[in-house]
Amino acid sequence: MTKFIIRRLIGLVPTLFVIVTLSFFIIRVAPGGPFDLEKRLPPTIKKNIERKYHLDEPVLVQYGRYVLDVLRGDLGPSYRNPDHDVNYFVWNSLPKSMLIGVLALGISVVVGIGVGMISAMRQNSWADYSAMSFAVIGITVPLFVIGPVLMYAFAMRLHWLPTSGWLSGEAGWLTLVLPVVTLAFPYFAYNARLSRASILEVLRSDYVRTARAKGLRDSVIMFKHVLKGALLPVVSFLGPAFAGIVTGSVVVERIFRIPGMGQFFVQAAFNRDYTLLMGDVIVYSVILVVMNFGVDIVYGFLDPRISYS
Amino acid sequence: MNKQPPVNELNQPLKGVSLWRDAWRRLSKNKMAMGGLVVVVIYALVCVLAPVLPIYSYKFQVLEHQYLPPSLSKNAGQLMVERQEQLLLAMAGKDERRELNEEELALLEAMRGKIDTETAEIDGKTVLVHHRRYPFGTDPLGRDLLARVIYGGQVSIAIGLVGTITSVLIGIIIGAVAGYAGGQLDYLITRFIDVMYGLPYMMLVIILMALFGRNILNLFLALAIVSWLTEARVVRGQIISLKNAEFVQAARSVGAGTGRIIFRHLVPNTLGVIVVFATLRIPSFIMLEAFLSFLGLGVQAPFASWGSLVGEAVEGMNLYPWRLFIPALAMVIFLFAMNFLGDGLRDALDPQSKNKL
Repeated sequence: MTKFIIRRLIGLVPTLFVIVTLSFFIIRVAPGGPFDLEKRLPPTIKKNIERKYHLDEPVLVQYGRYVLDVLRGDLGPSYRNPDHDVNYFVWNSLPKSMLIGVLALGISVVVGIGVGMISAMRQNSWADYSAMSFAVIGITVPLFVIGPVLMYAFAMRLHWLPTSGWLSGEAGWLTLVLPVVTLAFPYFAYNARLSRASILEVLRSDYVRTARAKGLRDSVIMFKHVLKGALLPVVSFLGPAFAGIVTGSVVVERIFRIPGMGQFFVQAAFNRDYTLLMGDVIVYSVILVVMNFGVDIVYGFLDPRISYS
Repeated sequence: MNKQPPVNELNQPLKGVSLWRDAWRRLSKNKMAMGGLVVVVIYALVCVLAPVLPIYSYKFQVLEHQYLPPSLSKNAGQLMVERQEQLLLAMAGKDERRELNEEELALLEAMRGKIDTETAEIDGKTVLVHHRRYPFGTDPLGRDLLARVIYGGQVSIAIGLVGTITSVLIGIIIGAVAGYAGGQLDYLITRFIDVMYGLPYMMLVIILMALFGRNILNLFLALAIVSWLTEARVVRGQIISLKNAEFVQAARSVGAGTGRIIFRHLVPNTLGVIVVFATLRIPSFIMLEAFLSFLGLGVQAPFASWGSLVGEAVEGMNLYPWRLFIPALAMVIFLFAMNFLGDGLRDALDPQSKNKL
């Protein structure tokens, strides 16, 4: 087991290496250098700025410096915001995005599995049919349609929830409801479908029939025997789900005006602030890679058939 | 030799049917899939015929017509007068008057007169501009939303199709080469795909758009560059399972070259899987494009796509909800239809169900 974890950890290195290298060269070759503003700078000032940011050194030296900086956790200065460096933006916005993302993922997993379980136990009942039609909507309708429609219905017409904002004013925690529900919806749908299908499959297996023949109660069979085996597809879907939640948070933060990382990312793309863009991508990638690693480990614990040799 | 004709499990004699005819027979029995197909065909017809359909230009602006609600029965002028009347009544209500005074009534009358006389030059023709009708309403610049939804659909569907075709072609070539060559090359390509999978690829698309500038061509390229990974994986798996089949050995024994074996013998045998995959891929491409355009990083004005229309409409949707709901509905209907069609095709082309009812 330890060997397996170590090998997987080593496997993460090339991915992270590619990301850092890619980001360095994108920042370097990007058209419109960081200081090509509308107003042309006098040559001496430009030279001074370039010296300040080490842009006058050979490319390989710059690359080495960049890699070392990133390894130390310093993502460099933001070229468009001289007062703050990239770390400042990340530390201010990441917790907000993380809060929404983790809540959405948790809800989508718990509610998704719950709904999938009920659907599977009452196969072909009206509850099953309505849950699965609901899931089809979640899978087909894009986030940026679900978000505004929910906002229009629950905030603007019914006035049950605030339209936007971040944990401020009297609305407080209620500001989280719409963004989290929007973000969770597609993954809830996937999880419900996946867990329904795999629970149905496990319910037909021999060991469940044996358990039933022993006279165990339905609830015991479901929670002690079926669920563990049926969770595997849901767990392996968690990797792509993390990626989707990260991407989706960009849209959700835009719709509900949350000052999270996605907002800064899109803003940086508009401003062509390459250091901020690539800093964000490095953070996103590290999160994804670490999450995928975690999923692999959990998968190994759940499925005794996987060998670590 | 057994000379009896082949039979299915019900002892009915089987005719030799081609894969595609068999698939079509099963597809045409699937109501959801056929419904999807009909919707997709209607959308395709409307988008292709857009230039000859009796709709307005998608970029012609009548600034006086901004934010008109959708209406089938009233023309633009009538809606304008109605809105003006309500505004005047509201202002009169502030002075605690129930009715309009003469000055205001005269203003409305003048407006009514203007509606039936004022003309404008559109596409070389002089028309009564306030007699235009907007069944889907208008946007902040007084452009016809119906035309924008149709032309936006053109852009969205075109990006879905071209993006899918490009990514499938790249995927076929790389996947086929990796699967057939095997060894070192296969290992390198597979590792590369694994590494790319670890990246947040929508973020890469956003960066590419920031790098190369925001226009439709770059959007195509950025989407194609990052989206061939899954296709390559699928094709590689298919090729590996086929490359030692007898027909490949036969081709090799008569001296066919590697390229010929890959592209004449192996790839056509994987087409069924690829077609299904591509159909299910089109809606996801449309969603990707819409995602970028929603953020303002995709299609730029005066062009529109469903995503950019929805994105523009979020601002002010409390007052002008039709701007959000109409393009969103147009897109969602198409996405549903494509998904049903794709699922139906997958079931129809499934070799397990060959010759079944």
